[in-house]
Amino acid sequence: MSERRPRDRASKLLGAVALGLSSAEMIEIARRGAPQAPSAPPPPGPPAGKGMLQASAALLAASVLVDSAIEHYRGSFRNPGMYVPLLSSTLALLSGVEGAATGSEPAWRPVRRSSYKMAVAVGAVGTAFHFYDIFRRPGGFGWLNLFYGAPLGAPPALAVSGLLGLCAEELQNAPDGSTKLRGFSAGRVIAALNAVAFAGNVAEVALLHFRGAFQNPFMWAPVALPPVASGLMAKAAVEPPAKSYPLTRIWLWLTTVLGFVGMGFHAYGVSRAMGGWRNWSQNVLDGPPLPAPPSFSALSVASLAAVGLLEEEARDALPEDKAAA
Amino acid sequence: MSFERPRATNGRAPDPFTIGGWTPMREYAEGEPVDFLIVGAGAGGATLACKLAEKGFSVVVLEAGPFWRPLEDFASDELTQEVVYWIDDRITAGDDPIELGGNNSGRGVGGSTIHFSMISLRFRPEWFKSRSKLGYGFDWPLSYEELAPYYEEAEDALKVSGPVNYPWGPPRRRYPYRPHPVNAAGLVLARGAERLGVKWAPIPLATVSAPRGKSPPCVYRGFCNYGCSTNAKQSALITWIPRALHAGAEIRDLAMAGRIETDPKGRAQGVEYFREGGWRFQRAKNVVVAGYAIETPRLLLNSACPRFPNGLANGSGLVGTHLMTHAGPGAWATFEEEIRWYKGPPNMAVTEHWNYTDEGKDFVGCYSFMSQGPLPMKWAQTVATSRGFWGEELQREMRKYNHMAGFVPVAETQPRQQNRVELADEKDRFGLRIPKVTFSYSDNDKRLQKHSVRFMCDVLDAAGGYDIWTNYQDTSHILGTCRMGDNPETSVVDGDGRSWDIPNLWICDGSIFPTCGGVNPSLTIQALACRAADRIQSLAAAGRL
Ligand SMILES: Cc1cc2nc3c(=O)[nH]c(=O)nc-3n(C[C@H](O)[C@H](O)[C@H](O)COP(=O)(O)OP(=O)(O)OC[C@H]3O[C@@H](n4cnc5c(N)ncnc54)[C@H](O)[C@@H]3O)c2cc1C
Ligand code: SF4
Repeated sequence: MSERRPRDRASKLLGAVALGLSSAEMIEIARRGAPQAPSAPPPPGPPAGKGMLQASAALLAASVLVDSAIEHYRGSFRNPGMYVPLLSSTLALLSGVEGAATGSEPAWRPVRRSSYKMAVAVGAVGTAFHFYDIFRRPGGFGWLNLFYGAPLGAPPALAVSGLLGLCAEELQNAPDGSTKLRGFSAGRVIAALNAVAFAGNVAEVALLHFRGAFQNPFMWAPVALPPVASGLMAKAAVEPPAKSYPLTRIWLWLTTVLGFVGMGFHAYGVSRAMGGWRNWSQNVLDGPPLPAPPSFSALSVASLAAVGLLEEEARDALPEDKAAA
Repeated sequence: MSFERPRATNGRAPDPFTIGGWTPMREYAEGEPVDFLIVGAGAGGATLACKLAEKGFSVVVLEAGPFWRPLEDFASDELTQEVVYWIDDRITAGDDPIELGGNNSGRGVGGSTIHFSMISLRFRPEWFKSRSKLGYGFDWPLSYEELAPYYEEAEDALKVSGPVNYPWGPPRRRYPYRPHPVNAAGLVLARGAERLGVKWAPIPLATVSAPRGKSPPCVYRGFCNYGCSTNAKQSALITWIPRALHAGAEIRDLAMAGRIETDPKGRAQGVEYFREGGWRFQRAKNVVVAGYAIETPRLLLNSACPRFPNGLANGSGLVGTHLMTHAGPGAWATFEEEIRWYKGPPNMAVTEHWNYTDEGKDFVGCYSFMSQGPLPMKWAQTVATSRGFWGEELQREMRKYNHMAGFVPVAETQPRQQNRVELADEKDRFGLRIPKVTFSYSDNDKRLQKHSVRFMCDVLDAAGGYDIWTNYQDTSHILGTCRMGDNPETSVVDGDGRSWDIPNLWICDGSIFPTCGGVNPSLTIQALACRAADRIQSLAAAGRL
């Protein structure tokens, strides 16, 4: 027992450092970010889906914020590091909302960029922390600890939110109407990111719904539908851009809706616990996580943005083809 | 709360899932012989009632205790909940008299599964042939392979929540529900076992880790041994009984069976029972006794008649003999960190190492052991009785409550003729002679317990526990007393639970175990009941009932 405590202390220290760093970063962001006099008007004709990207980053950050707030509260904020994702996802959420609502006010750009970068960093560090939490438990890396240890899929979601935001920012920065990200096809890059993110999300849901023994047949829906979305995104990432993606769009709308329907199912799940919603203060903590399913919606919206970019890219390419002909 | 009047009457029975709720119940006339009249609605009786009713037999169950609605009847209070125990007078004797009551038998629809700890483990395959394969005890008249499908059926009926991969025993289908998170008391076992290089596992438990129908997932409040007030626990009351009622069985609560009547041909013809202030008689084509290992032999012995002066089914003279219990010596330690062992079901981690390892033993037999979580009153009792603490000393010890952890084994005892249930001369409030229970440990039993205590102390020590102490008083399950076998001379019933002497008299409960193995028995009792139902159906089809 006593041997374990120094390790615990070390992890708490690390957590405290992380919290300190992220708070410092927040202050820095706020200082740097105070908007100067309104600068040049936003560039005309932003590439399609940029606002959607910001919105998806915001939605994902919101899901992470509520989820980590609930889960870390449930864990009594034992480690000061457990506050960090709350700060970071709040910043990412505000940035995403601001970016989507104002059509990317350039004056706030440094703030948004820093918040997104922070989300990526916090997501990466959080993943390491969660891995550590699983390995330090008796039984190590096994089903029991995957079920009940820190969820491995949660911190990467924050990183994905940051990456989506950064993509939106890059596009903002790019010359008018460009669909390129540092020379690469933006649509394909974002599609690839979403393919991976969907796959990760599905893995997490599959694990947790397996933990719930798939006791309700509807628990299969989020492990059955999103893999198709992941596949469609992977396909879009490797194939040349097409003029339109009707099937993909339909599927992505389906998974967008699925996320919100899922939240409804989770609310029903809460009602089935002892005391139901009357005992919400316990059952919201212990029941199926309400904020989790909308993460599918966030990824779907980001994927729709990627599809929009790909379609635009295909249309842009067309006149050149004609000219060549 | 008054439970003096039966609830299951007038064509309806309590619905355990709804406050004040009822479910329709079929009723049978007393004068018309029912296909099966079952005495006792516990692990064995409730399971058999359900399975037989679902197969189309007419079934009536007589249960001495009340028909609970856990949501309204069960209080979160250790004292109040003693109502679920069988605490009628019994006389205990022998060198190591067994303490009888809450720790070993229940009374009420659901039987002892109302307050059991929900541990749902299968027997080690070799135990079914422990005489031929392990050199002690008696062989069972059936094999593990014959029982395996019924284990699976019982596990599914209870939606047992168990580990994805259980480390002991032959390959098996995955448990229907996933394991529960292991509480800190369980993690002490895990940590210690890992440090000693011994395997451990979360315990497969009959309480759900996710919603199931009207059962909410377990809330880990730890009142399991006093009746689960949420219905997360998959007791017989909320699993087999609703199914039995639905299939047309009648359950008569507060109905104490006093005597099985036989006809001149020596066949059972019904049961005399006490309900609503008077003695009544229910006719039956078959009688099944499922009153657990003390009340079952008691009823058989109390039913003696001129034709069967030594009691029913007792041609072999074995009824009541070979009583076994699981010895439960404890090892306890204090920990620097907070454990709060009352959280969650009382037993959450197990090692079956010494069930599956035969080398390095100076005894025959097996044991597993589990992490513990006694509630405060029970713990104060343990401390007071086994360490003799009282007053200030007891208070000081109790202040450590949240920092304690410990283990208790399910330690096999050998079936021995002299350990037995007989009838005392004293009578109970029904005028029935009460049982006298005699028990002494053999030298082998004592060596086994010493070994287990030593090993549990090592695990506590490896886990970082200090001030380790032990006690040797506790026992748990009671088994044997009407053992099954292949030979009418050396057993009371055959592998189907059918008595050798009276072909329409059956036994279906923990009393038919020839040996007791090193795990808790209820899953095996339920699997045996499922199998018995299938066997009865085939016998009926073959015209051999
Ligand atoms: C505290 C405790 C914890 C336990 N934990 C576990 C565990 O974790 N895992 C496990 O496998 N086992 C456990 N057990 C043991 C398990 O509950 C019993 O072994 C099992 O329920 C026995 O089944 P049974 O059918 O033989 O008898 P019971 O389930 O006891 O049922 C017998 C029923 O018959 C009734 N009855 C008896 N005589 C008469 C009569 N003359 N007329 C009418 N009715 C009568 C009784 O009222 C009772 O309801 C535990 C037991 C206790 C007491
Ligand atoms: S801990 Fe679970 S099984 Fe035990 S009484 Fe509470 S809800 Fe029921």
